[in-house]
Amino acid sequence: MSKQEPEVRKGEWEARLADIKYSLYLLRKNPLVITGTIIALFFIILALLANIIVDPKLAYPEGYPGNMYPFERKFMWNANHPIQWGPGISLYTGPEFFPLGTDSYGRDLLKMIILAIPVDLYFAAIITIIAAVFGTLLGAIAGYIGGIVDEIVLRITDVFFAFPGLVLALVFASIFGRTLETLALAIILVWWPPYTRLMRGQVLSEKEKPYVEALKALGASPLRILFGHILPNSIFPILVQATMDFGGVILTFSALMFLGFSPSPAMPELGNLAADGYGHVFDAPWVMLFPGLTILIISLAFNLVGDGLRDVLDPRLRR
Amino acid sequence: MKLYEYVIRRLILLVFVLFAVSLLVFYFTRGFPRGMAPWTPYIHPKMTAEQIEQVIKEHGFDRPLYEQYFYWLRDILRGDWGRTGAWAQGLPANEVFFNHFPYTVELSVFATIITVGIGIPMGIISALKNNKLPDHACRIIALAGYSTPAYWFGFMLQLIFFYYFSVWGLPHLPSSQASTLGKPSITGIPIIDGLLTGNFAYAWDEFIHLILPSFSLAFISLGFLARIVRASMLEVLRQDYIVMARSKGLKERVVIYRHALKNALIPAVTLTGIFFAYLLGGAMITEYVFSWPGVGQQALRAIFQGDSNFILLYSLVFATIIVISNLVVDVLYAFLDPRIRY
Amino acid sequence: MKKQNRTQPILEVRNLKLNFHTYRGEVKALNGVDLKLYPEEALALVGESGCGKSVTALAITGLLPENAYIVDGEIIFKGENLLKKSKEEMREFRMSECAIVFQDPATYLNPVLRMGIQLKEAVLLHKDALKQMVIAEKRGEKIGYQEFLAMKTSQNQISTKGYRVSRKKINEMAEKLIMDILKLVKLPDPERILKSYPHELSGGMKQRAMIAMALARRPSIFLADEITTALDVTIQAQILYLLKELRQKIATSILLITHDLSVAAEIADRIAVMYGGNVVEVSSTRAIFKKPLHPYTQLLLKAIPNILNPTERLESIPGTVPEMINPPSGCRFHPRCLYAMDICTKNRPNLKEVEKEHEVACFLY
Repeated sequence: MSKQEPEVRKGEWEARLADIKYSLYLLRKNPLVITGTIIALFFIILALLANIIVDPKLAYPEGYPGNMYPFERKFMWNANHPIQWGPGISLYTGPEFFPLGTDSYGRDLLKMIILAIPVDLYFAAIITIIAAVFGTLLGAIAGYIGGIVDEIVLRITDVFFAFPGLVLALVFASIFGRTLETLALAIILVWWPPYTRLMRGQVLSEKEKPYVEALKALGASPLRILFGHILPNSIFPILVQATMDFGGVILTFSALMFLGFSPSPAMPELGNLAADGYGHVFDAPWVMLFPGLTILIISLAFNLVGDGLRDVLDPRLRR
Repeated sequence: MKLYEYVIRRLILLVFVLFAVSLLVFYFTRGFPRGMAPWTPYIHPKMTAEQIEQVIKEHGFDRPLYEQYFYWLRDILRGDWGRTGAWAQGLPANEVFFNHFPYTVELSVFATIITVGIGIPMGIISALKNNKLPDHACRIIALAGYSTPAYWFGFMLQLIFFYYFSVWGLPHLPSSQASTLGKPSITGIPIIDGLLTGNFAYAWDEFIHLILPSFSLAFISLGFLARIVRASMLEVLRQDYIVMARSKGLKERVVIYRHALKNALIPAVTLTGIFFAYLLGGAMITEYVFSWPGVGQQALRAIFQGDSNFILLYSLVFATIIVISNLVVDVLYAFLDPRIRY
Repeated sequence: MKKQNRTQPILEVRNLKLNFHTYRGEVKALNGVDLKLYPEEALALVGESGCGKSVTALAITGLLPENAYIVDGEIIFKGENLLKKSKEEMREFRMSECAIVFQDPATYLNPVLRMGIQLKEAVLLHKDALKQMVIAEKRGEKIGYQEFLAMKTSQNQISTKGYRVSRKKINEMAEKLIMDILKLVKLPDPERILKSYPHELSGGMKQRAMIAMALARRPSIFLADEITTALDVTIQAQILYLLKELRQKIATSILLITHDLSVAAEIADRIAVMYGGNVVEVSSTRAIFKKPLHPYTQLLLKAIPNILNPTERLESIPGTVPEMINPPSGCRFHPRCLYAMDICTKNRPNLKEVEKEHEVACFLY
């Protein structure tokens, strides 16, 4: 390892810092991105504090263990209807005000949504990060090594692209049980190919650039070149893609839960809560309206940020 | 490389992909009998345990997986895709598929028309008024589009346009299902059949039923198209030949329509092609929400019933559509951009 | 060389100051440019890259990018200030008075449109003139590019009142005109060219086609922005020769922008030397070469290798081109000037006529 390579790296980081400062400057000028960031941050903080604000036990009234299935519904349609809006009588705690109404188990919807947010955000984050990391690494290796490795990886991604993703995820969940972890794994399986293609493309174009040859002449090992230089240079589009994917993952995750793949119908999760309102869309629309709206807002926030980032990073749109 | 060489190469790739997909799906749907019982289409609840055993042996579900795969392969090459439908109602899987496919086609075509009709102008306006109010408005609508949960949006549409409208006494759009007014059958595609046979009432009824689901599907994707058109248009507008066109003294409208658009829309066209193909695979969730009798709805049913035959058929058709559409789009690109042609 | 009409300049740039607004600061690209272009003359605007020559051309035609803004100055054409005109008026200006040909024909031609469309659209803007041509043809008169040119002056115009000319006929006339112009610019096989796409033509052919597009508008001012820079030397010579020929046939003023003094020497009647956003010396080509007054011009001439004395050491100008966000104060050349005086760092010298028809902007005079 030559002595000059660290110098090269230092230079690269300085240039990147200047780039980042310029990007932030452009971002600040964009009101939509700022709105998106604020909303996203709001939800993240909410997620972190959720279990403090709202007592998690409220999700499983009468002491029912969370994962027991089936869940016995004692309160059927009668005068004391469990689904209410506004001022009403809670089935569990007496008179109460329900700002967003109740779900069909008579729980305060607002509180349930707050409890559900961390679940969705947490899993969406895990899925996105794992899929992105795996996909990126695969793409980087395929792009850099080229040859037969590249061919194989390309074919594999082709297969996965041609796959009906939702079907695979559902089948997976059917087989391996309806836990959140299986669902997450199923989604990861389907979500990694775009990162591979993206990264591979980046690596292929970076490989041809003169600085790579220079690094090779300095004696840097392929590993160092790939992970120390090419990767950081190509990371921005990946970040943008990941931010936008975050919204998409939340949608997919909750959609699968909506279709019935949750471990327990009472579990606070946004798709699950929406599914609860399936039978009562017309007479109690709020049961589906608010959880879905929440998903929309969270997803929109992250998409705004990602979209703004993409605009900023587009080299052709920079001054 | 020559055009037909390229096409042949891609078709070989298709065969490979189909094999891979079938292997994967086969493994998952038949390899885990505890999770998904592949013999469900052939039994009904009144059967005793021995009768079930009988059915299993009869159809070979107790044989090792690779044997099963081989038999399945042999069967499909003879055109027998097995039976589908729970409780031994067993219609042939391919019949069921092709009975429902026309509905999906209808939905896809309409949704694509709406997407293109709204998405492309939105993208163009966004680009022309970059960073001004129309751009911001379009951007929010576009992003809201693909941040919206499909199931939620479908129901909200139904809530407003069906339920509330009828409550308020406004003419309302039906909530779900394709038209049930009796189905003449030439192409199998309801609207076209209605028009071809002169049964306009039927065609109109079908059209009314199509509006909400198509719009639901379209809303989600038009945002994406609009963003692509916007980016593409912005890039084109920065090109030197646009300056040249302006320098000739051409009216701005001519510059945009004649010079800029043709270049900018090339990626949009290809994207629309891919999107349409994807829709043809059946938008499961939307079909579920609207009880639309398309292929997606059937696929969902099949998964819940552990019906491996249908799932396999569906996956293979889906994969074929995707690969072929990618191929078509790539070839189309070559036709649209004269630089690549020669 | 044609004799210039020494009355009134057809185009005059007065004290043009222009900035670009960028993230890193304001780029003070033009620092008070003074330029006079007389009818039927060829003026060369010479200078290094980055001195503001192309920007001046863009300012004249009204094609400046969004982040450019005028700080001061005027551009007078036929008695009117172009900078005060509306977008629509500038468009008409570009349509029939001023044509510009750009540097790299590869990027300045639309890749998805056939050459025929791109050529014809330049002519089809002049629907009225085309109508007249069709009428003239019906009357049995000869029609061609020269006649089209002649129609520009109002005496030669034919009344189109009461005549209805179909669009098809107008299109056909446009095509005939274009073919005539293509012959004028020496493009072989005009029919094939019309059907071709830009990438099917060679660099030289594309550049000729761009010149054809300019001629089709019968401009009074012809701006050529580094039109030979992207071509190799033999093609360069051909294009220059073409321009010289065209000058004989067409009475237009040419503003030739180049960084190559030898190119300027080939065609120009007068040369204006630019540096750092200013015009520093203007005179006839002969005078500039025989007796350069401004220190920068002197150094430029010294830097040209002498073919008669190949062992002479190549001279270069010390220092580097000024950076325009924080340009040098006063005369922008003073950091590199051998004769810099105290006053040069404080004030900017104006163009002064020092000898007959020879202006310099330097405190030495």
